[in-house]
Formats: sequence, structure tokens, C-alpha cells
Amino acid sequence: MSPETILVEHLSKTYQVPEREGGFGAAVRSFFKRKYKEVKAVQQINFKITQGEIVGFLGPNGAGKTTTLKMLSGLLHPTAGKATVLGFTPWELKTDYLLTMTLVMGQRNRLSWDIPAADSFLLNQAIYRLSDDDYKRNYKELDDLLELEPLMKKPVRNLSLGERMKCEIAAGLLHRPKVLFLDEPTIGLDITGQARIREFLREYNKRTGATILLTSHYMADVTALCERIIIIHHGQLKYDGGIGDLSRKIAPFKLIGIRLAEANSHDLSKYGTPVQNEEDWEKQYIQVKAEDVTRVTSGLLADLPVHDITITDPPIEDVIEQAFNQ
Amino acid sequence: MLKIFQRLWQVNWAEQWQYRANLIMYLLYWLVSPIIYLAVWTSIAATKGDVNGFTANDFITYYMTLLIVDQITSNIVIHTFAYKIQDGTLSGELIRPIHPMLTNALVNNIAFKGLTIMGLVPIWIILFFLFKPDFGNLALSGILLAIPAMIVGFFIGFLLSAAITALAFWTTRIYSLYEFYYALHLLFSGQFVPLTLMPKLIQDIAQYLPFQLLIYFPIQLILGKLSSAQIVQGYVTAGVWLLISIAFFKWVWREGVKRYSAVGA
Repeated sequence: MSPETILVEHLSKTYQVPEREGGFGAAVRSFFKRKYKEVKAVQQINFKITQGEIVGFLGPNGAGKTTTLKMLSGLLHPTAGKATVLGFTPWELKTDYLLTMTLVMGQRNRLSWDIPAADSFLLNQAIYRLSDDDYKRNYKELDDLLELEPLMKKPVRNLSLGERMKCEIAAGLLHRPKVLFLDEPTIGLDITGQARIREFLREYNKRTGATILLTSHYMADVTALCERIIIIHHGQLKYDGGIGDLSRKIAPFKLIGIRLAEANSHDLSKYGTPVQNEEDWEKQYIQVKAEDVTRVTSGLLADLPVHDITITDPPIEDVIEQAFNQ
Repeated sequence: MLKIFQRLWQVNWAEQWQYRANLIMYLLYWLVSPIIYLAVWTSIAATKGDVNGFTANDFITYYMTLLIVDQITSNIVIHTFAYKIQDGTLSGELIRPIHPMLTNALVNNIAFKGLTIMGLVPIWIILFFLFKPDFGNLALSGILLAIPAMIVGFFIGFLLSAAITALAFWTTRIYSLYEFYYALHLLFSGQFVPLTLMPKLIQDIAQYLPFQLLIYFPIQLILGKLSSAQIVQGYVTAGVWLLISIAFFKWVWREGVKRYSAVGA
């Protein structure tokens, strides 16, 4: 077995997506001859991850992160290239491989919605061939970290999003996998929920020496957990290295949002670069360099009748877009 | 492995139990057509004396037996599985170290069956008093011979349906294909009419097809209507079709999983 836990060489995935124009004529034509568009989701990526590393896998939506995770966990067959995880070729779906890895993604995965989580956990005990002692020990460990006990007796459909995510993660880790692929493990959780999952993952990694590859929308997840970052964009590997080097590479900036006393539209371009925010029409947003935040903010407050002001980190997609799209 | 099946049973039984009202509706829907055939043929036979040698009582015993046999050998795998391939919910099951179709889906079907059979019992008893069948020459040996035949029949039907379901890896429109398969089943299994009343050509074709192994063969075994030679021939056909359906399913599944696109989250 190679010393690398995860080894990826020239891995590529191209989807054939059927496409047709709207309208009746096009529908009839596509019945006889379908047109396909090739979507290159992942193109020739290479990386190695050694045992015990926690690596953050970043990229804008549609960059190919999830596709890569699906290939590494064995769900997808690649179009070209090689990958080995713990010495196995994932998409052969060998039982011995499936017993030592886990993929946590989305909300509905390992738990049946109609029955209490406790029953799904017992099923997992059997499926992953855990002895009663191992099961109890592993469960206790997960319960200590995630406080599962109060959730176990309720049908899963009656749990809140955060509670369900905790149970999903626990169900995925009952068998103490050596490799964890986590797709957005904190999505939809509130700040405390996110912090708790992060804390848990760090602790799990420390206790078991597991290798973790995770994608996230939250920069905070990544900065808290990962020393190493891999960035892909348009299916291509753009960056692979330490998180410190990355922040030096990306000029750090912040978003300032303000709501003015009188109805909107003041020209803010002299304070920073105006940006659109589709989720929040009430505020106007400008982007400024991190070191200028204090100066610009006090300027805004002094010059304008500001009702409300927020200072936030820009979305991770925007940061990457800016850093790698030039 | 035994423990896996035991836990799968507990989970699937609990799940099916949650949907018992839905299950009763399904059972009533499923009962409609055999009961209509039963009523129609019985009244025809009653007015004419018999239909090609089939008396009213022959029809009653045939369809009353069919109600039980069909419930044991049929499956609903396309309805419980195809959508998982289409919408990507299969992902979670595919990376578990057990075969999604041959463990979970199989147990799920059996749990479903367990509950519908429980629902069928009182209905069957009511029909029994309504139609008063005379199972005169029913013999224990026939029932004992029919049990393995029904089990093999169930597995053949399950594997063939599972293979058609797995075609969802290629195309999202498999339901029309399944409808066609089911139409063949209706024609060649003896579900519509006892096969002996079908044209000679259909009977000749039917005996080489798998469909009669699910309905006609077990019914005739139970009713004691087969010669020893016919019983042996039936079992040999069943054995051959079991091997064919295993090979067919394994091939479709192996090739299909390569095409799985794991859509959705």
C-alpha cells in the first residue's frame, strides 16, 4: 500500500447532458436524435493526501468538488484517470473499502425518515459488522461529542435540520471509518451548530487519526479545521497548499452593508466597490480591503444618515472567483 | 449476514407498518381484477354448465388460490427502488457494504408482503363464505410441492423486475417498459384466465416463459392437477429461469452502476 491514503492522478469526469431547445418541433426532433452536450465537471486533477490530514476542498458552485468526492467515495465512475483510497479503487465498491470509509452528504442518506434514529443505528451496527462492545464504545464516543441520546427515540422526520445533521454524521461514523468524505457537513446549521460539528471533527481526527476531506461553503469551517486547502474551479485544480499561503495570495476584503435613513441609492463608490446582493435589497453593499474597514466605516457613519450597518466576510465563492479568475 | 437480515427486517417491518393505511388501499386495488375475473367466469360457467370443461367451482378454486399465490410471488420492487436511481437517493445505500437490491430491497418487499398477506386473510375468508368453493381434491402433498415452487417463483419475478428496475441507470423512463413486461405477465402467467383455456399457441409459448412459474404452475400444484412428468418439467423450467434471472440481473446491475450519475446532493 502506498503511504498516501488518497492518491488522485489525472482524474477526469465528463457528463453527457442531453439538451434540446424549447418548442414542439425540437421535442419531436429530439425524440429521434438526441443532442448531447459534454460537461467537463472534473479535468485532469492530481493530488495526494497522507494519513491524518484534514484537507479543505473549496470551489464555487459547479466547480467539481462534489463530483470529485463522489468519485473518491465510489459512487461515480470517472471518465479517465486513476484514484486509490487506502489502496482500493473506490468505484469497484469492494466491501472491504466500504467498511473503512464514509461519505456524509446532504440530509437524507443513512437514516430512514419513518423510524427513530436508534433503529437505523442498530441496522448500521449489523451492516458494518460491529460487535456489541465496539458498537457501544463508538456510540458512547459520538454521544459524548454530539449529545445524541435525546434525539435517538424520535422518528427522524420529526427532528430539526441541525439535529438530523448530527444524527447523519454520527450514523456515518459509527463504524469508525479511516477516511471521511464530507460534503458540506455544516450546511444549514446555526453558528453554534457549525462550531460544534467543527469541534467534533477536530476531536475525531485527533482520537482516531482519520483522514478527512471536506467541502464547505463557510470559510470559517475551513480556517478552523484545515491546514491544507485544495481549490478547484471549472473542474481544474487551481491551488493546493497551506491555508496561510492562500490568505496571502487572496487579498482579504470585507463586505460592508448599510441601510440609510432616507430611501436608498446613495452613490457609495467613493467608499469602496459597490456590489449587488440579491438576498438583501434593503441594504447597499460595498467591498473594501480588510485593513480599510475601520476607516471606511467611520467615514460612512460620519457622512451619511446610517440606520443599520453590517460588516461580513464575503462568500467563499466570490473570494475564489476574484483570486483565480483573473 | 443473518444479523444484517434480521435488523433489515426490523427496520423495514416498522417502516411498512407506518404506511399500513396505504397498504390496505393497495391491497383493495390489487384485489379488484382477480375478483372481477372470478365473478365473470363463475357466472358464465354457471349458465353454460362449463367452459371447455372448467366448471364454476373450478373457476372459484382457481381464483381463490390465485389470490394467495399471486400475493406470495409478486413484488413491487420497481415502485420502491426505481426512483432512488432517478433522484439520487440510492447514493447512501450504494456506499454501504451490502448490496442495495439483494438485501434491503428484497427484505422491504418481503415485509410488504407480510403485511398485505395479513390484510388478505380476512378478505379471503369472506370470499370463501360468499363463493363456497369446494377444494375437494386438495392434498397436503400438492401444497408442500407448491411451497418451494412459490419461493423460486418469487425470486425469479423479483430478479427480473429488479433487472428492469436497474435499467433506470440508463434511462429515466422505465415505467412504460415495465408496463409491457407486466402485460406479458398477465397474458402468459395464467392471471387473466387459466392457461388451459388459452389458445394452444399461447399455452405452448407460456410453458417456456417464466411468467407461469409465478402463478399457473403453483396453482396447479396446489390443486393437484399436474402429472408427475408435468411437475418435473415445471421444476426444471423454474431452475433454468432462476439461473437466467440471476445472470441477467447481475449483468444489468454491474453495467448499470457504472453509469450511475448520483444526481442531487
